[in-house]
Amino acid sequence: MTTAILTHSPAIKRPQRLGFGNALSAEWIKLRTVRSTAWTLASLVLVSIGLTALMGWLAAAELATGEAGEPVGAFVTWGLMFGQIAAFVLGVLVASSEYASGMIRATLAATPRRWQVLGAKSVVLAGVLFVIGVVTSFGSYMASNYFLDRQGIGLALGDDGVLRALFGGGLYLAVLALFGLGLGLLMRHTAGAVAVGLALLFVVGNLVQLVPGALGEWLTKMMPGNAGSTIANVESYNPMLLDPWVGFAVFCGETLLLLAVAGWLFARRDA
Amino acid sequence: MITAQGLTKRYGDTTAVDAIDFTVEPGTVTGFLGPNGAGKSTTMRMVMGLDHPSAGSVTVNGTAYGDLPAPLHQVGALLEARAIHGGRTARSHLLWLAKSNGIPVRRVDEVLELVGLTGVANKRVRGFSLGMGQRLGIAAALLGDPGVLLFDEPVNGLDPEGIVWVRTLMRRLAAEGRTVFVSSHLMAEMALTADHLLVIGRGRILADTDMADFIGRNSASRVRVRSPQASELARRLVMRGWEVERTDGVLTVIGATAAQVGDVAGADGLFLHELRSLDASLEDAFIRLTADSVEYHAASASTAPPDISARTAAPSHAVELSGQNVNEITAGA
Repeated sequence: MTTAILTHSPAIKRPQRLGFGNALSAEWIKLRTVRSTAWTLASLVLVSIGLTALMGWLAAAELATGEAGEPVGAFVTWGLMFGQIAAFVLGVLVASSEYASGMIRATLAATPRRWQVLGAKSVVLAGVLFVIGVVTSFGSYMASNYFLDRQGIGLALGDDGVLRALFGGGLYLAVLALFGLGLGLLMRHTAGAVAVGLALLFVVGNLVQLVPGALGEWLTKMMPGNAGSTIANVESYNPMLLDPWVGFAVFCGETLLLLAVAGWLFARRDA
Repeated sequence: MITAQGLTKRYGDTTAVDAIDFTVEPGTVTGFLGPNGAGKSTTMRMVMGLDHPSAGSVTVNGTAYGDLPAPLHQVGALLEARAIHGGRTARSHLLWLAKSNGIPVRRVDEVLELVGLTGVANKRVRGFSLGMGQRLGIAAALLGDPGVLLFDEPVNGLDPEGIVWVRTLMRRLAAEGRTVFVSSHLMAEMALTADHLLVIGRGRILADTDMADFIGRNSASRVRVRSPQASELARRLVMRGWEVERTDGVLTVIGATAAQVGDVAGADGLFLHELRSLDASLEDAFIRLTADSVEYHAASASTAPPDISARTAAPSHAVELSGQNVNEITAGA
């Protein structure tokens, strides 16, 4: 085993200076070479589409009577409410798993420019989740629309807000994953970041509705989960929420702020 | 070449690395020896730009790690064997590292072959033994064919064959003109591997010495002798050219055998209450060296700090102590 040649290998030419592309391609390999990525994404797609189909099947008849008082448009991407958790968790893991395994040291030895590491992780994660989110949204739409159509209340792709919601599903999951990345990098601990994130996104977001008056209303609109998710729905259950694009802009701003704080600490902390 | 100047790392009130200066030269294996918690790993992490120094600086080939244009081509490191995601295969781990630094993919297979992991290249790292994990870490260090290599406790968890393999590998890397910086808490291992020795204790450099010098100085036989006429005996031993350390009525004679000491005592009719030879082990020398430093460190707050940057500072510290005794004794004679 010790017979291989060690002496300076002529095959290796040192690049002048590494670019963002090197970090990007390393992060892409990292993401796709662990099984947890595939499992997380598969569960995201299947659970979302499956639950949307189930809900469409259960609700279609009642919706058709018009007595339910619920907008039909809220049902075509309904399951994404559950699938989004997987997107968030994957985002957390991209940062926190490196701390759990100690691999962050190998990462920073290979790419000492820490903002570059964060940038590469963000681009790869957002890219993957956008594609997965769009696929899941289209799948959900087709699955639920099958049942809605049979009741004569199906939505066409050309209907108001449908295409926006389906691509919006990709945008929402992409930014949600980045939110998880920011939190994972900030806390460097999977369980802690997941717990805080889920509470913030999905529990506190509902609880603040109980705050009385304009403050409660305002808080409800601004909570990241509430602000971000409207873009992924054709119509929202909750008419109080911000308009889709406005809400998404707020969510992007909040995520950017979180990433900036996390990145600032990442650049200064010891690995 | 690795150069540290006034390198310091503080965590709150504790100083893990205390203004150390050292140079690790190419073409040699430099052993970085110290007890657990002495500051070895912290120092290595600062070399790699992973931990930020509280003061001072450290450079690799004159450049701070973070400013190296393509770091894996210049520096390879085995910092922690298990700094690898368990769900990834050995090959995938090396592949992302290669891509991150523009290293051709065929080099991945080359280093896998080199460390003997070709057969398990596509197995998940989770199932690897500690030794296989170390080999993979070494493969990662060699990936960019770097001129500077850092190994933090590389023989941990290796079987005897693996230990010999690592030792041989490090010697070969140094023979090729590379800088090899290897930490260990095992003196015996260092004695077999390193050309140069950097001893650290409590965050300070205790010795910066040629390994051959260190062995020569510390492998001399030592004899412990107790006598009611200790002063008289010490004087006679010193006259014969041996170094003598004295603690109360107990003398430690350096370089002499028990028989020689007994003969000296017998020739002058001096009584001996104890006479035995001490094992001359480098491990003991190392423990004495670092134990001294701990005591000295604690006491040095009120006194002027010693010139610890001098070569072989600490061993000569011990020698000086005996030298003082000798002067005292000879002055009284």
